[in-house]
Amino acid sequence: MNRKPVSALPTIPAIAIDVAPISYADRTLANGLRAILVVNRRVPSVAINVAYRVGGKDDPPGRSGFAHLFEHLMFKGTSRTAPETIDRLTEDVGGFNNAFTSEDITNYYEVVPSNHLERLLWAEADRLASLDVNAANFATERDVVIGEYDQRILAEPYGMLDELVNREAYAVHPYRRGVIGSPDELSAASLDDVVAFHATYYRPDNAILVVSGDFDVDEASRWVDAYFGAIPTPAPAIPRVAAVEPEQTAERTFEYRAANVPLAAAEEAYHIPAASHPDAAALEVLETVLGAGRSSRLYTSLVYDKQVATNANAAADLREHPGLFGLRVTCARGVALADARAALAAEVERVRTEPPGEAELIRARTQIASSIVRSRQTNSGVALMLVQSTVDRGDPGLVNDDLARYLAVTGDDVVRVAETYLRAENRTVVEYLPL
Amino acid sequence: MTASTIPAPAAPRDATLPAPVERVLDNGLRVVAFSQRNLPLIAAQLVVRGGSAVEREDEAGLSALVAALLTQGTTARGATELAAATDALGARLDAGSGFDASLLSVSATTPAFPYAFALLDEVLRRPAFAPREVERVRTKSISDLALTYANPGAVARLVAQRVAYGGSPYGHPVAGTVATLAALGRDRVAWFHERFYRPDDAVLVIGGDLETDDAFALADRELGSWRAPDTPLDVPPEAAIPPPRTRVVIVDKPDAARTALVVGRVSIERGSPDYYAAIVAAAVLHGYSGRINQEIRVKRGLSYGAGAALSVRRMPGLFTASTLIDHTRAVEATDVTLAVIRSLVDAPASDDDLVSRKATVTGAFYRAIETIDGITGSLAEHALYGVPLAELAAYTRRVQAVDAAAVREFAARRFVPDDFIVLVGDASKFASEIEQTYADVRVIPSAQLDLGSPTLGG
Repeated sequence: MNRKPVSALPTIPAIAIDVAPISYADRTLANGLRAILVVNRRVPSVAINVAYRVGGKDDPPGRSGFAHLFEHLMFKGTSRTAPETIDRLTEDVGGFNNAFTSEDITNYYEVVPSNHLERLLWAEADRLASLDVNAANFATERDVVIGEYDQRILAEPYGMLDELVNREAYAVHPYRRGVIGSPDELSAASLDDVVAFHATYYRPDNAILVVSGDFDVDEASRWVDAYFGAIPTPAPAIPRVAAVEPEQTAERTFEYRAANVPLAAAEEAYHIPAASHPDAAALEVLETVLGAGRSSRLYTSLVYDKQVATNANAAADLREHPGLFGLRVTCARGVALADARAALAAEVERVRTEPPGEAELIRARTQIASSIVRSRQTNSGVALMLVQSTVDRGDPGLVNDDLARYLAVTGDDVVRVAETYLRAENRTVVEYLPL
Repeated sequence: MTASTIPAPAAPRDATLPAPVERVLDNGLRVVAFSQRNLPLIAAQLVVRGGSAVEREDEAGLSALVAALLTQGTTARGATELAAATDALGARLDAGSGFDASLLSVSATTPAFPYAFALLDEVLRRPAFAPREVERVRTKSISDLALTYANPGAVARLVAQRVAYGGSPYGHPVAGTVATLAALGRDRVAWFHERFYRPDDAVLVIGGDLETDDAFALADRELGSWRAPDTPLDVPPEAAIPPPRTRVVIVDKPDAARTALVVGRVSIERGSPDYYAAIVAAAVLHGYSGRINQEIRVKRGLSYGAGAALSVRRMPGLFTASTLIDHTRAVEATDVTLAVIRSLVDAPASDDDLVSRKATVTGAFYRAIETIDGITGSLAEHALYGVPLAELAAYTRRVQAVDAAAVREFAARRFVPDDFIVLVGDASKFASEIEQTYADVRVIPSAQLDLGSPTLGG
């Protein structure tokens, strides 16, 4: 085999990644629907997203899990169309569709060859205007959702931990109920609840439509007007969550045990501000420095060097309302949770006091920037970015500042947000132990 | 309110693709480059023509083991340092192998790409194959096989591969068997790497945010010093594919929850002039609204899902239709599946029927070419199989040009006749009925099944 000199670990200068801004048409129809159109004619394909500003936090009292159940019902047909119409309009022409429900939104999306755009706009408007839910399909989908709960939350190892963290970390805010909800409350729901929920939240002034891809903007605007424009806006105001989580002043620790916990684990959840807050970018860089990938501080220290954990990560869960910064550790076999948590505490102390080195900062920024650039490749990636920015920050245009925002984060910024938020009195700890 | 009926689709539009340019470096490496400067991202894929088809029967799984080990450490840095270097660049670096080739791929943002490409060069030319890593990856591969063998659908596909190809180059499992993996060690890994990872039998595709001249310069700078070994180039195996020994193979697996059914036959190679007719014919059968799922799931409720697949390779690949059914309905599902495949000839799809089936093919293509990794991979596949690179830009037109007569004529030659049947499940529930309906049936108890044997053991 021929040889050539091997360079040392590549040290790259702080890289200047520049992307062209995403240009879009943004308007609000008379009925309140916000329509954002991004033209990219390279590939004859188009992504359609319809996001409703209703998520787990908006579930009616005693009806947790309702927004997510509702997501399922939106595939059950309308007064004009058969069940699974959206599936046929997408899968049968070379596209796909899906939906997700988060704490803050329910987002429906499709990707289809661009000559099918008008049909999908018609179908999305149709299910906003004339959803047809009956007792039979309501009961069926409720069972499907409860089955999903059994599979994802009960059966999956550590499946309940996220639910427990939200429940204990929030004293007041409805984020404490999570998204999947509780089977008891879902079982108690009636068809009347469903009809009321659709009337309350599925209305044009609570929807954001984003279309990204290959189309003519004038033609698409006419279709948006024709199909969405005539849908009436109900008179009552949309109910909004007004609850404000009070500042936490003392550490709270909870211990839970479950059968599907193979190795003891813990999550430390710190309150952080909303996604629109100026500290959001520094918190994401902090997340990357601490917990993204095998070269992160937590992995290197807890998993690789000290071998006290099989897994250790950080997640800045930035939401429309104040979210959580989670540090999670899963013990290595034979290691006491207290020892794994002590190692975690040492890393928290270090990041609160010692700014990350230049190479570490470059690594974090580069990882975040690369991920933004990759998301920009697809129409569906661009559409989702605009949805999130509109919901979380009220302005789709902020996506064009994101790269610069992350690249501007300094080591001092990282230390400052770590000092500000990673304080013991600001955290809730859930220890999750085997039976 | 909205219009009460759904609008019709408009006329489809075609994709515009960057034009690929190619050169051969002095060391024989074929380099394909394309420029698409919409985003600061560059991707590369290096394909060598050594995959599982060049392995010896008793070394099945060797090419997969080599590929898995490439990213587990080099002579310059260990597995963890390599992961750290990749992370630091925001890059993705992967390796894998298949029937006809092994490949390495890398992508990164424009400023990071030259460094990421140097990492590709490092894992390509200076893998450590550290004994500890060889052992770790081999052990993991062996334990992964236990998962595969517990899945009746996966077993049925591997049995179908053996029934179709016997002891010819596509017959043995790409992932190997417990016995073949257990016998492989560092020496054979290094041997395979030395022999098949060579510039005079490889293709490099680089594309994205750079000019093609810069792509060639980068390729030359990193890989220009890559030298071929003295051993002559291996002539790819052209062994004749024997006809199936048995038409129906039943693997008796009483603990299976459901019975897996595969109906298949050896069909066409990637370079065949029938290629586009073949993928459209497969699309008539495949998908939710494809004929197989319509008959098996929608009309008869025999299964949650059923579909067809066509695997095209350098030599003729496999066409299969498959589903998972209750043991007691295995015979019905077999009859229906065979009838559906025959329907391509008996009740051929009309040109109107083909409009939406062809759209499923072109729609998947559009999604693939949204990313530079997708374009890079498609060009690498064209190059690997000797298909002119310009064909990629003509893909949609070629698919659209297939008409009903071509689908019927192709299916009559290459999908319908000479098919074989594989069933993996609780044979006590269906074997005797199968034997009454079909001739030439062989039942193999699961414990005696040997995927390492061209005749499946037993």
